[in-house]
Amino acid sequence: MKKLNLSKDQIQKLALSTIGFVVLLYVYFSFFLGPLSKSRDSMLASRNDIRNKKGSSANEMTKTANLEKQASAATMRYAALTNLSPEGAPIAWFPPRMKIFFSNQQIDKTTARLESNVPYKEADLSGWMRYNWTLDLPQTDFSTLGKAVAELENTEPLLSINHINIHALADDPQFQQVTLSVATAILKR
Amino acid sequence: MALHLNLLHEEIREQRQRQRDPLKIGMMVLGALGALMFLYYIWNAYQVLGIRNQLNAEQNDWSKIEPKVTAAQKRSAELNDIINTTKVLDGMIDSRFFWAPFLEKLSRCVALNAQITSIDGAVLDDNKGVSVMIEGLAAGREPRAAAEELRQLLLEQLGQSYHDVKVEFKTLEDLDTLVKIGGANMAMARFALSASFNPSATAKAAPPPARTSTK
Repeated sequence: MKKLNLSKDQIQKLALSTIGFVVLLYVYFSFFLGPLSKSRDSMLASRNDIRNKKGSSANEMTKTANLEKQASAATMRYAALTNLSPEGAPIAWFPPRMKIFFSNQQIDKTTARLESNVPYKEADLSGWMRYNWTLDLPQTDFSTLGKAVAELENTEPLLSINHINIHALADDPQFQQVTLSVATAILKR
Repeated sequence: MALHLNLLHEEIREQRQRQRDPLKIGMMVLGALGALMFLYYIWNAYQVLGIRNQLNAEQNDWSKIEPKVTAAQKRSAELNDIINTTKVLDGMIDSRFFWAPFLEKLSRCVALNAQITSIDGAVLDDNKGVSVMIEGLAAGREPRAAAEELRQLLLEQLGQSYHDVKVEFKTLEDLDTLVKIGGANMAMARFALSASFNPSATAKAAPPPARTSTK
């Protein structure tokens, strides 16, 4: 093998070339290719993220459309139930409503008193309040009362009678005095 | 063999030395490498440019879709809330105790010789049952029997619709006063009945009829 005889000047030049080569590699990878790769990776990640979002969004929109179809009955029912709670404070509209209702059932002079109002424990009813009322029916006969109670229970689905007290009037046992404790679910406005 | 004299050997040597100058060779190698790396960089930059264009297109698409998706998500949450709330409200509505049918049954049980003076009924907490206190008067040759007849009838009527029915006398006492019914004087008794029942409990399965072995 032929031995390579290099002069001192040549060795210096060779070393200089090697240093130049290393510097070139460093500059190339650190300042050119590195940032470019980093930028490409981040853009690829963003692109994939958006593609995933678009994929899931199509799924989400299909799901919502299906849910809308399935929930049509529930939506109508909910609208009907919320329509039972008019705007304004319940103390302003519930007693007159009861008075008119019982008046239509031939029971006059009905009064309704608010006893208490409490929020529901169920998380799904966070927008609703439970109002407890006392309805006083000063004079009615049993048959009229029965029909009125039946009508009340059928027309006011969110109302439940928790306590009923009927006692005959002392001077006219044909008629009774009635006290009803009722609870209603009313939408918070 | 002819004698060949090289009179330019010094110049040739210098030329050879120049040709194998390590710095020059190194610079050439560096230049070649630099060119290759530059080409590779350009290729990469071109690719990145393509990805950037794709990303911009995707971002434009997404900016158009995003409001719809957000609205759909909001609507979906709203619909789920409506469904759940309606379910709970329907549960409450279905689990109500209806007093009108009870009053109707009670009215059917009261015979001509009995009179109810007071009814006090309440739905127990959490719809665990209903408790009713009934007070009244019964008249007849045997007023206690008339009151007992009312109790039996009430038990039978309530048993047709409700479960765990109990109807018991709290008090049953004879009165000194007489009442005229159909032209005849009848004795009177005052009674207080306590009725309790569960309107929502599932009916207990009737036991299967006992088989009688015939030989």
